[in-house]
Amino acid sequence: MRSYGTYISGIGHVGLVGWLILGWGFNAEPLPFEVSEVSVVSSEEFAAIVAATTPQPDVAEPTAPVVPVIDDTPPPARLDTPPAAVEPPPAVPAPDQETPPPAPPEPPTSPADVADTAPVEPTPPAVEPTPALTQSTRPRPRPAPRIAPEAVAPPPPDADIADVLQDAVVPDESAVADMVEPAQEATAPEEAATEIVTEAEEPSGAVASSVRPAARPNRPAPAQQTAQEDDNAVAEALAAALAGEAVEPDLPAGPPLTGSEREGFRVAVNRCWNVDPGSQAARVTVTVAFELDQSGRVQGDVRQVAATGGDASATGIAFQAARRAILRCGASGYDLPVDKYDQWRAVEITFDPSGMRMR
Amino acid sequence: MLKRFLMALVALVLAGPVMAQSGPLRLTITDGVIEPLPFAVPGFQAENTEAAQVASDITRLVAADLSGTGLFREIPASVFISAHSSFTQTVAYADWRAINAQALITGAVMVAGNQLVVKFRLYDVFSGSEMGGGLQFAGTVDGWRRMAHKVADAAYSRITGEGGYFDSRVVFVSETGPKNERQKRLAIMDYDGANVQFLTDSTALVLAPRFSPTGDRVLYTSFVSGFPRINLLDVATVGTRQLQTADGEMAFSPRFSRDGSQVIYSVSNGGNTDIYRGDIASGASTRLTSAPSIETAPSLSPDGTQIVFESDRSGTQQLYIMSANGGDARRISFGDGRYGTPVWSPRGDLVAFTKQNAGRFHIGVMRTDGSEERLLTASFLDESPTWSPNGRVIMFMRETQGAGGTSSLYSVDISGRNLKPVTLPNGASDPSWGPLQP
Repeated sequence: MRSYGTYISGIGHVGLVGWLILGWGFNAEPLPFEVSEVSVVSSEEFAAIVAATTPQPDVAEPTAPVVPVIDDTPPPARLDTPPAAVEPPPAVPAPDQETPPPAPPEPPTSPADVADTAPVEPTPPAVEPTPALTQSTRPRPRPAPRIAPEAVAPPPPDADIADVLQDAVVPDESAVADMVEPAQEATAPEEAATEIVTEAEEPSGAVASSVRPAARPNRPAPAQQTAQEDDNAVAEALAAALAGEAVEPDLPAGPPLTGSEREGFRVAVNRCWNVDPGSQAARVTVTVAFELDQSGRVQGDVRQVAATGGDASATGIAFQAARRAILRCGASGYDLPVDKYDQWRAVEITFDPSGMRMR
Repeated sequence: MLKRFLMALVALVLAGPVMAQSGPLRLTITDGVIEPLPFAVPGFQAENTEAAQVASDITRLVAADLSGTGLFREIPASVFISAHSSFTQTVAYADWRAINAQALITGAVMVAGNQLVVKFRLYDVFSGSEMGGGLQFAGTVDGWRRMAHKVADAAYSRITGEGGYFDSRVVFVSETGPKNERQKRLAIMDYDGANVQFLTDSTALVLAPRFSPTGDRVLYTSFVSGFPRINLLDVATVGTRQLQTADGEMAFSPRFSRDGSQVIYSVSNGGNTDIYRGDIASGASTRLTSAPSIETAPSLSPDGTQIVFESDRSGTQQLYIMSANGGDARRISFGDGRYGTPVWSPRGDLVAFTKQNAGRFHIGVMRTDGSEERLLTASFLDESPTWSPNGRVIMFMRETQGAGGTSSLYSVDISGRNLKPVTLPNGASDPSWGPLQP
């Protein structure tokens, strides 16, 4: 038999649940919620927006590039110092078996700088930069398609096409009425040529090759953002995200390099790392940094990042050995997965010869 | 606010792949290769007809100097793609890269009467740039070997970062005759065995010549009086005089101090041998050791503050280091066998020595604290090591076994590679490598 307490408790719980369900127990007032309309833009609209916001290079007044004067002829070996006049050494007597001859001093030699600069490889002539075209050259009209036994010059612009050539006659008001010739329209035969002239024989004037795009312009200074710009920026960012575009679509990130890929790269460099175990540089551990392009070739120069274990001279030699190794074995590009380019475009290698020192 | 949040969220999502690469790819390489560096040296240009032969000779000698170190390998001209016939010609780096030349040496030679002018340039092929500026040497035609050595020294120094040693000379004892009646004379030669000239006659036994730091004088032990005495010889005039030393039955094993004004040597009295330091000008001497044992073969450190020597004070012949003013000595050799004739490296980091163990002789090196001992050679008899001016090569004497055995000079890189004989017309011993010539 159930007690009254049980009934009272059950009624109480049912009432509480019902109160909660009916809403009195929750705050029916919605929290402040700001709604922003997000418009999904099409790729064409997005491109148009980008084109409108991307600063265009000033093509109206292209800056005249300074074309370096190329001296194809190597500089003559200008001697900074004249050849030192050196006295000839004393005659060297033939070695006597019993009488010690005077030891002839060797002729002194004097090092001198040969010339200021080495002959340098001629730089290819600087290509005259083609001014950016604001509009393409209007193609000239093609020669008349009509073929006739005799070539006919183009008719005057206001002449009608006719078989005979006749000038336009304008009524002369001053002339006697009966002498007045009737007005007639000017006519001329249709333009004709004796043979067909193709575009290959006569260029149309169309742009044969596109102008190489200029370097990427500097980022524009951040402008004062307005609410509308904010909306645009959000819309663009969302559109880019929805389109699956990365920030830099040319730089595939890809997963990290596998162990075998890293090992392959390491072996590719170390087979060109020539260590001289007798050198002071064999005690120097040097770290160098460099960048690779997508073909695996070294971009720019190799930089020294850190070095330990030697003086400046030894460090310099260790760095040169490391640099030589990287450049030699990377001359034709390192074999690295292109789809992981972002993983290896910047490289730091530590060359540690401790295992190769003389023991 | 929400806009900014959305922008940040979008940026975070988009930046995700980029941020996956948190920095550059980092690798560590501990194993390289040990191989000679390939270089190309097209024939030096003869700027006039008189220079044709000497230009060819200089080219060959420069190549021989570099190849002889074991650190470089000459690429034969037969595989050249680019004919670099003119000194002022621009370098076609791609052609030299194609044949794997890492260094390119070009030069020109001009002869005017007895005057000879040699110019050269060195290029780093793979970086496509010149290493250092061009250099020119002038002298007389009969000094062409020295100019070739100087060109090779400059190239060696620029590539390795260490000083060269080609334009240097060695004083040694030239030996002729059978072993039981051997005649010994002081002689001097280029580092490669060329231009041998005798400094003394064979009327008296001579031993252990030592070059002065500037290469203009030689100390040696002479038996002209019947007892070993220290003589000083002027290389230019071949004038010689006996040095005043401390009293004793024998004075021997001399070496110059680093400034050339003093000499450290050994004096033997009644079976006890000690080390002394004497002033060459005044003849005043100071005793540096006083142990009742044999202390000899002293050699000063490059900074002149310490002396390494051999002593049998422990019961066997070992190496010790003490202050240049004498005093307590610390033993640095602890291996099996006997150690002797220590010579401090010009770099200051190593001591070369002769080691006798298990019936074999070795030339070896160890650090000045006795660590990292390495034996570079092994034979019936190797001894008398001497350092090249740059501390990279050791020259020593090797004697073959038997009654008809002969003495000759060898050199070896301190890495233990490139062991090779010095070609000489006669037998030779006791080499002392002089400094680079000015």
